[in-house]
Amino acid sequence: MTRELVLEGPPDLRRIYATAALKRAAGHDGLPDLRVVRRGVTVDPDNLARYARACQFTLSERLPLPYPHLLGFPLQMVVMSQHDFPFPLVGSIHVENVITVSKPLTLADPLDVAVHAENLRLHPKGRQVDLVTEVSSGDQTAWRGVSTYLARGAEHPEAVASEPPTLDALESVRSGPTWRFGERTGRMFAGIGGDWNPIHVHPILAKPLGFPTAIAHGMYSYSRCVAALQPRLPQSGVTSHVWFRKPIRLPSTVRLRTAFEHHRMLSLLEGVKRDLDHAVLEHTW
Amino acid sequence: MPQTSPRPVRRAAILGGNRIPFARAHGAYARASNQDMLTATLDGLVARFGLAGERMGEVVAGAVLKHSRDFNLTRESVLGSQLDPHTPAYDVQQACGTGLEAAILVANKIALGQVEAGIAGGTDTASDAPIAVSEGLRQTLLAANRAKTLPDRLKALASLRPADLVPAIPQNVEPRTGLSMGEHMALTAEEWGVTRAEQDELAAASHRHLAAAYDRGFFDDLVTPYLGVTRDNNLRPDSTVEQLGKLRTVFGRGPDATMTAGNSTPLTDGASAVLLASEEWAAEHRLSPLAWFVDAETAAVDYVHGHEGLLMAPAYAVPRLLARNGLTLQDFDFYEIHEAFAATVLALLKAWEDPRFSKERLGLDAPLGSIDRARLNVTGSSLATGHPFAATGGRIVATLAKLLHEKKQQDPGRTVRGLISICAAGGQGVTAILEA
Repeated sequence: MTRELVLEGPPDLRRIYATAALKRAAGHDGLPDLRVVRRGVTVDPDNLARYARACQFTLSERLPLPYPHLLGFPLQMVVMSQHDFPFPLVGSIHVENVITVSKPLTLADPLDVAVHAENLRLHPKGRQVDLVTEVSSGDQTAWRGVSTYLARGAEHPEAVASEPPTLDALESVRSGPTWRFGERTGRMFAGIGGDWNPIHVHPILAKPLGFPTAIAHGMYSYSRCVAALQPRLPQSGVTSHVWFRKPIRLPSTVRLRTAFEHHRMLSLLEGVKRDLDHAVLEHTW
Repeated sequence: MPQTSPRPVRRAAILGGNRIPFARAHGAYARASNQDMLTATLDGLVARFGLAGERMGEVVAGAVLKHSRDFNLTRESVLGSQLDPHTPAYDVQQACGTGLEAAILVANKIALGQVEAGIAGGTDTASDAPIAVSEGLRQTLLAANRAKTLPDRLKALASLRPADLVPAIPQNVEPRTGLSMGEHMALTAEEWGVTRAEQDELAAASHRHLAAAYDRGFFDDLVTPYLGVTRDNNLRPDSTVEQLGKLRTVFGRGPDATMTAGNSTPLTDGASAVLLASEEWAAEHRLSPLAWFVDAETAAVDYVHGHEGLLMAPAYAVPRLLARNGLTLQDFDFYEIHEAFAATVLALLKAWEDPRFSKERLGLDAPLGSIDRARLNVTGSSLATGHPFAATGGRIVATLAKLLHEKKQQDPGRTVRGLISICAAGGQGVTAILEA
């Protein structure tokens, strides 16, 4: 029987990070049988406005496609900071994310947000787990996000990992929106999304964790991409899939190239100076 | 075979409109930019008329208070909307006449066969207003930028004075007279003997009419909620002449001052859009016209040295418009006279009734006469809705088109007509005739 933990308000993420930094992965083989839930969540219009401005979405009644992730993220942190969660909170890498919108959500909708972990599996470089966020308005699940995290560890060459689609369609696409992500990008987005993971905050904090500079939030660069594409997407019945590749070191200049097909968009977010693939996105409807 | 000779002029149809509720400045929309509001308004129109992915002939809109970064505001909004990105767009700006002038431009292109369908609109925010650096700082920075050497650059910067650091905030002031629009209006109100009681009555009626229109669902297909606002939040349904009579005057001086915050429009944020098309395009898209855009006339007055009141230009535009169309002022079922101030509407009506003004200023043998006040601003106007400058024209065009459509359904045997009059800064006035 799944245990349900109902939170009355948003959890304090800074405290979770502070305690998690001290905790090592327990090496459990299973996942906590837990659903963390918040009911009747209302979107803070001020936070939505800051998110929209930062990611260049139009501020409107309709929630930007990735926005509900921000509502689920603190609950993900609660699941991942459980003592019997098999991965360390700091050091787990967000490698893949799939969002499915079945009904457009608006600022006015009171939302129920529920998060659970599932599908603990082997990966060639360690293990992976999915954190599933379900956002419903009324009785209906309107928005579902699956965030896949990787914890590096014992290698499993035989394991099969999800690979992004082939990028052949992008060969003829020469240009696209180009953005400068400044040195402060990580702190700016942490202030909006609440993800204060030290790797995003400052080089001094990122270095001990193996990064030469702070790196941009995947959810930020992904949101920028979706903002550039959303006017061409239908409002519902959309699946937005992102595979995060090389992290974006701050500061950086990145470019989004997209091939538009029938009911599909394939995009690559890449470095402009260095030949790095930062993320592959596929939108289907 | 080439067809380069002029094509016959066609009728331009108004198919409908969309706006977001207007909100008092520094409130519900404080975080929204002009581009946010215009894009959301376009998307609401797209949703209402199934225009997603549709290439329009053009989108024309504008804003009065505009950031320099918004040089291509309308095109940027189109690119952020669900419209086909192959839709061209341009900005216009004619102060409070912007929205109506945009509709005239689109209607004319449709009439000439240059576009099949287009969107006219406008947006304005007094909350997210542009703040410029002072003229002193601007000149200093430009000089420093031009300087070729470091010493020259430092010399240029050294000329900066502390007072230069105070930013320039946009003001509702006529550049050539230094008077605010309210102060100008107070002069005109006094000249025409517009009383406090008349103004408060008009203001109360505006709130009462707007509230009644909302209550009967009139705006259900004209307004899309935005950021939690579902009705114009300046609306005071229970506003009475007695309450309005208690407010202190804000424009004009001395015991004769009559203008208050209650009978003047407040600073407001909002956006509006109107869908216009040829008859053929409408039929192809299975959309039925609400009304037709018949004609328009814009006038300007020489207000700088006090020869005429700043907001009196519609008094000149309307007679010219009527003469050209063989109509009298009484030939209308509805009058939409923008309530910049209650006194603006009342002064215009008095001018059209006045034999001397008609003869001396308009060169007419007889005055235009009075109108049936029961046909004036029947679903409320700017005193109640608020007045986000460039958004007012779109609000009025869509509202009047729907009113005419309703009237036509009740009385299908005859042509029903509406007159629009909008005064604008710079002594300008934009007027138009719609019919169904």
